[in-house]
Amino acid sequence: MALLEARGVTKVFGGLVAVSQVDLTIEERMIASLIGPNGAGKTTFFNCLTGLYKPEEGDILFDGRSIIGLRPDQITALGIARTYQNIRLFGSMTAIENILVGQHVRLRSTPLGAILQTPFTRREEQRAEKRARELLAFVGLTGKGDMLAKNLPYGDQRLLEVARALASDPKLLLLDEPAAGMNPRETEAMMHLIHRLRNELGITILLIEHDMKVVMSISDRVTVLDYGKKIAEGRPEEVRNDPRVIEAYLGPGILAETHP
Amino acid sequence: MLLPSVQRGLRIGAIAFAILTYLVLVGLPLRLGDLALPILAGAMALFFWLALRGGKSKQDVFNRQPALLFTAGLSGGLTAGLLIAALLAVFVNLTSSGVRLQPIFDKMTPPNLAALYGVAPGAIVGGELSPLAWLQQALLLTVASGVGAALVLVERWARGRPTPRISALRWIPLLLPIALFLFVLWLGMPGVTFGGNNRGTIRLLAAMVTIGAGILALRAAHPGRERQLLSLLYLAGVAYLPFTLDQFQNSVLGIVFIFVMMGLGLNIVVGFAGLLDLGYVAFFAIGAYMYAFLSAPFSSPWLSAQLQSLGIPANAPLLSFWMALPITMLAGWIGGVLLGIPVLRLRGDYLAIVTLGFGEIIRLFMLNLAELTNGPRGLLNIAPPYLFGYNLGNPRDIFILGLIGSAVIAFSAYRLDNSRLGRAWIAMREDQDVAQATGVNLVRTKLLAFAIGALFAALAGQLYAARQTNIFPENFSLFVSIDALSLVIVGGMGSIPGVVLGALALKGLPEVLRGVDEYRIVTFAALLVTMMIVRPEGIIPSTRRRRELHEEAEPVVGEDVPSVLERLAPELKSDNPDGGKK
Amino acid sequence: MAVTTYSSTSVRFRQKTTTRWLVRGLGVLILALVAWRVVTVGLAEGYPATFWMSQLINGLVLGGVYALVALGYTLVYGILLMINFAHGDVMMIGGFTGFFALQFFMALGWLQGPAALVALALILIVAAGMFGSVLTGVTLERVAYRPLRGAPRLVPLISAIGASLFLQYSVLLIFGVSPRVYQKPALIEGGFRAGGVFVPYTGLIIFVTSLFLMLMLYLIVQRTKLGRAMRAVAEDKGTAALMGIDVDRVIVFTFILGSALAGAAGVMLGFHNTVVKFNSGFIPGLKAFTAAVLGGIGNIPGAMVGALLLGVIEAIGPSALGIPTEYKDIIAFTVLVLILIFRPSGLLGEVVSEKRA
Repeated sequence: MALLEARGVTKVFGGLVAVSQVDLTIEERMIASLIGPNGAGKTTFFNCLTGLYKPEEGDILFDGRSIIGLRPDQITALGIARTYQNIRLFGSMTAIENILVGQHVRLRSTPLGAILQTPFTRREEQRAEKRARELLAFVGLTGKGDMLAKNLPYGDQRLLEVARALASDPKLLLLDEPAAGMNPRETEAMMHLIHRLRNELGITILLIEHDMKVVMSISDRVTVLDYGKKIAEGRPEEVRNDPRVIEAYLGPGILAETHP
Repeated sequence: MLLPSVQRGLRIGAIAFAILTYLVLVGLPLRLGDLALPILAGAMALFFWLALRGGKSKQDVFNRQPALLFTAGLSGGLTAGLLIAALLAVFVNLTSSGVRLQPIFDKMTPPNLAALYGVAPGAIVGGELSPLAWLQQALLLTVASGVGAALVLVERWARGRPTPRISALRWIPLLLPIALFLFVLWLGMPGVTFGGNNRGTIRLLAAMVTIGAGILALRAAHPGRERQLLSLLYLAGVAYLPFTLDQFQNSVLGIVFIFVMMGLGLNIVVGFAGLLDLGYVAFFAIGAYMYAFLSAPFSSPWLSAQLQSLGIPANAPLLSFWMALPITMLAGWIGGVLLGIPVLRLRGDYLAIVTLGFGEIIRLFMLNLAELTNGPRGLLNIAPPYLFGYNLGNPRDIFILGLIGSAVIAFSAYRLDNSRLGRAWIAMREDQDVAQATGVNLVRTKLLAFAIGALFAALAGQLYAARQTNIFPENFSLFVSIDALSLVIVGGMGSIPGVVLGALALKGLPEVLRGVDEYRIVTFAALLVTMMIVRPEGIIPSTRRRRELHEEAEPVVGEDVPSVLERLAPELKSDNPDGGKK
Repeated sequence: MAVTTYSSTSVRFRQKTTTRWLVRGLGVLILALVAWRVVTVGLAEGYPATFWMSQLINGLVLGGVYALVALGYTLVYGILLMINFAHGDVMMIGGFTGFFALQFFMALGWLQGPAALVALALILIVAAGMFGSVLTGVTLERVAYRPLRGAPRLVPLISAIGASLFLQYSVLLIFGVSPRVYQKPALIEGGFRAGGVFVPYTGLIIFVTSLFLMLMLYLIVQRTKLGRAMRAVAEDKGTAALMGIDVDRVIVFTFILGSALAGAAGVMLGFHNTVVKFNSGFIPGLKAFTAAVLGGIGNIPGAMVGALLLGVIEAIGPSALGIPTEYKDIIAFTVLVLILIFRPSGLLGEVVSEKRA
């Protein structure tokens, strides 16, 4: 069974149809990409998946159950986590604290427990902290745990966002332009990390990306949106050669670039 | 360069004139009496110092050239002096020509006008302003501005010197509270005549300074053994304090610590969760009225009728202070949740206005639901707390209860701040949408903030009712909310020790300075505005709040620092050929 | 890997969650309760139609004054996204300035003179009130708000609360607790009857003046260059600055406009209530804010409609609901709370509440 199934998802803002009748199916342990020109509705679609927006039409099934109408925190609890196009960390919290907030849905301690410091709360906090350090190490930020999120370099902030998303034990991770604004070396490392997420942690990944090199090299499957509609879908090489995609989006220039 | 410095002087002078005129119109000179001249002159020197010092880089040019600095200062002083002199001349001439100013300006009584001329007693000769007084006003302000300019130079000189680094000196601020405490004890000893008639006031002030200095010292101490040791020492001192003070001193500190309890609760709502609640007094009132109903049901017409119809004698308390405690807490909790639910979807300033509306609605109900609350006549004869038959209603024991309550609440707040819930509050305060998408249940988190804050306020309310024994709707006006909010903000939003310091400064000091009580609210108000502009994080900022409010002040690690990704990349090349395949 | 594509068997979804339905249900329930109360209690009292008409007129007059103040909230909110909490007190200062001008013209004897002189004096009194308020408003902006531009949202709001208290209690200290009594010139004392309904002259003058000032404001905002600049800044400060608009100047101009309207309102409220005192701006300020929210804050026509509506609700409400008039303040607050809960974007507001509120 597919991990995520979106059927006919439509989101309208005023008169503008931002996402129109989009179907998308993602199998477990897949790395899927969502591409399309600016304003094609990619981020809007992400927001529908995470419950920030409520689609006017269509259904979204995650793990076989509909998540339409659930709050974002409920969806996170079910196992979808995300990062943001423009990094949105909790700037005045440290890296570790950011990851601890990410674990929120997996922790059980109560306010009273916190005041009384019950053995349960103390153990849970210790475990949470340990796990936060592990996640920090996993994304390669060892030793930066006590730095304020907003004081981290740009690339590290992106990594911290991934770590924060991982903290909620997601089955599906949505990455919104993970390589945006990165230099080629950083991009490469990010791609490596995405592979590790899938291979070592078994997380399914859906990403939005503009960097065609990234998309074409790591995706198992690419979906192309244009003006809110799905215009193509398939394996990277299929999509790349699809004349509609070339016409609507890639253009000869970008094709040349991806084929040196 | 000379002209701009004169222009600057003119501007500063005009502002000085405005401030002085304001002080004169509100009648401060009269209130200060003999002290008016030195205090006003000192305040003006301070003003010129701050104004000339500037703070922005563009004004540094004046700082670097003493001649320009003094030109600016003196021209400012002269301007202000001449303007004030002219204004006074107008006032005096109006008065002497029979115009009574008092119907317009409340404080413009003849003695007040005379107080203005503290400069030269006898400057008014037969209702006329002597030329000497003109000159003296101008001269006074010019001297004040000169002193201000000199202060700038002194400050610059002092800044340029290396700071002395003797490690033993560090202990002086740490041990200062102990010296202060001993001073308080000494003042209380029989036979000590220090301070004469003001001995009691000085002692109260010293006691408050001791508590404040203790808090600051604890923050300055190194974390770990040193801080633990000092904490124990100071805690013992504070616990002993109530037994050395007299009734009045204890009762002032009692009310201060009731406000600390309330402030700590509000601090959770405003400081931790970032929800600006202007109707917080509602929960304080709920606590007080709930305890009053349980303790003095006979004061409420409706309740006593009900009890009588049930055959319960209504002339005695239903529950003791301690038995009522859980019920009051529950009432506070429920009140917090009930008032919280409708405002869940509101953010920031809308929330502030609606909670303000709620606070007023509750007060209007207390006033108008006379059947239940006895209206403006209030609920009377509320029982004080008893312990083993011993009456704890005296000021000393109320102060002790306030201290215990504050300690318990501060401790709880501290633990909550460092818990799962505390992190959720901060996350929500920083970015509500992301917090929710990260898994924070906003409804639950917000309601918990309201409910916990309300619970603490209700506790404070119960203690307040027990202290007053009679409560009236007017005890629960908007100003209680504003007081509580001010002390949280002045102390430092989100800072637990800040609340104590804020309460001492805003609730305690006015009690000591009884004479200037009427200026209390204006001072608060000016303080709120100034605080927001100069130091929005408060006296003792919580570290996190400071980071939020002073973004530019943080050393930002720039792009030149390589991120981890970049440093890892070369070695990735070898073990991950896939990475750069295409 | 097989690509499963569903031919869109689309299911229509309405925006529904349990809480949202609960809130809606609650709203309907409240409306129903109010309607039931009005029918069973208010209408059953059997007041004559003229009673309702004169209440309606009262409401419209009050609403006109609220509208002037509400416009100040809305203008500033539209541009700075902040609630100028001290706006009601700016209005009160206008009331005081107007009072002193009134005393002055009384001493000159203009108010006992011919109609033209009285009219001129009244216009000058309103102008004096506007001047006092503008001075206060602009100083406020310079001292308490400008240094805080770009600070987190709570910071300017707290500063505004401080400014509000400062203005009120400074006036208390300077002018004393005793209220100042506005004496109406004999010429505008009384009123006339229209279809059995008594219309006071002051009420008529206040209403017409309010409408005139609102029209002026509308023309300024829609037709002048500065008005255009205001709208541009409200839309996007950064871009407006890039287009060569002096944002600071526009903001000051906004405060001037808002304060001038508030000053006029202060004087007219003085005539209407016959007194001004240090805290007489606070409650009307809150109500005007309610009106602005009711109409949709940031929206100029909304503020006018909201204010007239609120004035009427407040005038008719107590008799219609059959409750004592002391509760009329509670009615206004309750309307505010209900509007913010059920329709935070207001009656005419666009959906900005999620982003801005």
